[in-house]
Amino acid sequence: MISPLTSHKMRLLIAIALFCLLAMPQQIQTSQENLSLIQSLKGGWTFSIGMNNDWISPKFNDSGWETIKVPSNWEDQGFNGYNGYAFYRKKISISSSLKGRMLYLNMGYIDDVDEVYMNGRKIGSRGGFPPKYITAYNAERIYYIPEEYINFDGMNVIAVKVYDSYEAGGIVGGEIGIYGGKASVSFDVNLQSLWKFKPGDDLRRKDADFDDSLWDDVLVPARWEDQGYRDYNGYGWYRKTFTYTGGNEEDKMVIIIGKIDDIDQVYINGTLVGSTGTFPTKSSRAVISGQEYNAFRGYYLPAGLLKKGQKYVIAVRVLDTGGEGGIYEGPVGIISQSKYIDYWRKNKTNR
Amino acid sequence: MKTLSLKRSIFFMLVLLIGLSSHAEELRRLTSLSGFWKFSIGDDIRWAGISYDDSKWDQVNVPGQWENQGYNDYNGYAWYRKKIHVGELPSNYTIYLMLGRIDDADEVYVNGKLLAKSGKFPPNFKTAYDKTRKYAIPAGYLKANQDAVIAIRVYDTFLDGGILDGKIGMYVDIDNDFLDLNLSHGWKFHTGDSKDWRAPDFKDEAWKPINVPSDWENEGYDDYNGYAWYRLKFNLPKNFNTNDLFLSLGKIDDIDEVYLNGRFIGSVYDLKRDGEFKRAGWEYNARRVYKIPEGLLKTDAANTIAIRVYDTQLRGGIYEGPIGLMKSDNCRRYKNKHYSNQSFWDYVYDSFFEN
Repeated sequence: MISPLTSHKMRLLIAIALFCLLAMPQQIQTSQENLSLIQSLKGGWTFSIGMNNDWISPKFNDSGWETIKVPSNWEDQGFNGYNGYAFYRKKISISSSLKGRMLYLNMGYIDDVDEVYMNGRKIGSRGGFPPKYITAYNAERIYYIPEEYINFDGMNVIAVKVYDSYEAGGIVGGEIGIYGGKASVSFDVNLQSLWKFKPGDDLRRKDADFDDSLWDDVLVPARWEDQGYRDYNGYGWYRKTFTYTGGNEEDKMVIIIGKIDDIDQVYINGTLVGSTGTFPTKSSRAVISGQEYNAFRGYYLPAGLLKKGQKYVIAVRVLDTGGEGGIYEGPVGIISQSKYIDYWRKNKTNR
Repeated sequence: MKTLSLKRSIFFMLVLLIGLSSHAEELRRLTSLSGFWKFSIGDDIRWAGISYDDSKWDQVNVPGQWENQGYNDYNGYAWYRKKIHVGELPSNYTIYLMLGRIDDADEVYVNGKLLAKSGKFPPNFKTAYDKTRKYAIPAGYLKANQDAVIAIRVYDTFLDGGILDGKIGMYVDIDNDFLDLNLSHGWKFHTGDSKDWRAPDFKDEAWKPINVPSDWENEGYDDYNGYAWYRLKFNLPKNFNTNDLFLSLGKIDDIDEVYLNGRFIGSVYDLKRDGEFKRAGWEYNARRVYKIPEGLLKTDAANTIAIRVYDTQLRGGIYEGPIGLMKSDNCRRYKNKHYSNQSFWDYVYDSFFEN
């Protein structure tokens, strides 16, 4: 937001400030303290006003597009007075030496609404496009990039769909770039990717043979507010199917699910393997201290639960009581106990 | 887990007040075990063993939550290990391992053998974060003038984790000074109730061993309330004078009936006579000392003590010493130390309600 505050935006600002105040304990540490810059993406991006979903595809030929400086508002780059949809695209290379590291795309501040794609696959979104328009001009966009979306040592295309309601528009500020988490986790099973998600509650969803084919695809980790479930509080279930390709059979395995807002139960093929907080039952109320959202989840799996070559379904039951919700912070994956111990010792003083 | 609701805080304040007003046992420290312990997150039962090589493990200061020692945000399993050299062991004393408060659940191993546990590990997790760990070490766990390894398995859900605070070390109850024969080892235990269980010839071989004194909640009988029996077979040392003897059973939660060689020798309600038991609801706080009838103890064969206990709620069992035989002079000194100090509030209570 560069332009002077209009009363409309002022009111919005106050509303957002109030909301932030109310949702204080829910605030998430997304600042760059824990991230280090790998590759700056400031500078020239190809740009076009308008909206065409073909432009998301990495194969789209944008050679006829203009080049625009990022970050800056498009009003200062020859698009004065333009409001509405626009696309930014950029081709980058990501070294395979970064494999195993948690990578994030920081798109800075976008006025007003955005959807960001890596190689044609959505990695994040803030605000809401019309007709359910809502601005997110003052939110810093930091999106986790699932490893399976990255074309290591090859060409990767970032496409950013932007909607601006009026006045300053576009990628207007911030430290645009690719960032890496300090801790590199060498997962035996990396689960930071697309999961199936459905709001509501039904305990049958824990079972391996439950049909989730019609469920939505969501990114894990990410707040469900950023994935089309704005203002949603209550129950939600995540499911992820994977084939266990085997770590060390002797070693105990740990499933890490980072942080969840607020409480969770984690099932593997219907077996409860870990839980934080106490869900309500017919005869008892939920026990939530208000600190669960900030607890790091690492659940030790019963020995012999995972067998090489077999298919497993992880089901995560989440209850969000207010504010943001869902599996919002990584790392997420399965790791052997010995590697988990190393991970904690290596990151001892840094945390 | 540490957040307390107001209700809970008030409850604990009340418990604390009650704790202060009762005459808590006095402990003498044998060895402090505070300071650096070997530490690793994770879980592996082999880490309990005496010969496990923990040289590559991290170290943390005990007591102190692991969140403040580099493991901020860690939740889940972790183990503590410490190698100690055991010196001379005081005979006639019950040795306690004191480990302060542990958040949330723990299992303590001495030389690979499970000593005791508090709370419950997953999948049926239950916290015991507010309980001070005091575990009696039975004979045989420690050998004089040898090395020993104490290994503590801990599970923490979230917020503070590990050995938080409190006295850490090995202690003895100084009231054991009054014992002429310590009888705290070799007890057997069974929940339930039967008239047959008082008989000296009842076959209790299948009964489970239990540490005495210790809350039975520490001994694997979590949440058990109701009837249970303790039995002990023992032989007197040679030339032990059986004249004018008393059986001390420390404190029992809540009600007891004591049988020696099949004969009833006393119950908490008999302590009314010397003022040690005053009113219903306070049975758990009375120091049991029962006169042994002349000629009942056998000098040439095994004797059997059978104790029927009824616990109404919360912790249960023979939870505090001294446990053993006292000659009359020791018994008199023991009673003088503890029975005489009737508190002001006891006096007020008695004068209002008992007259």
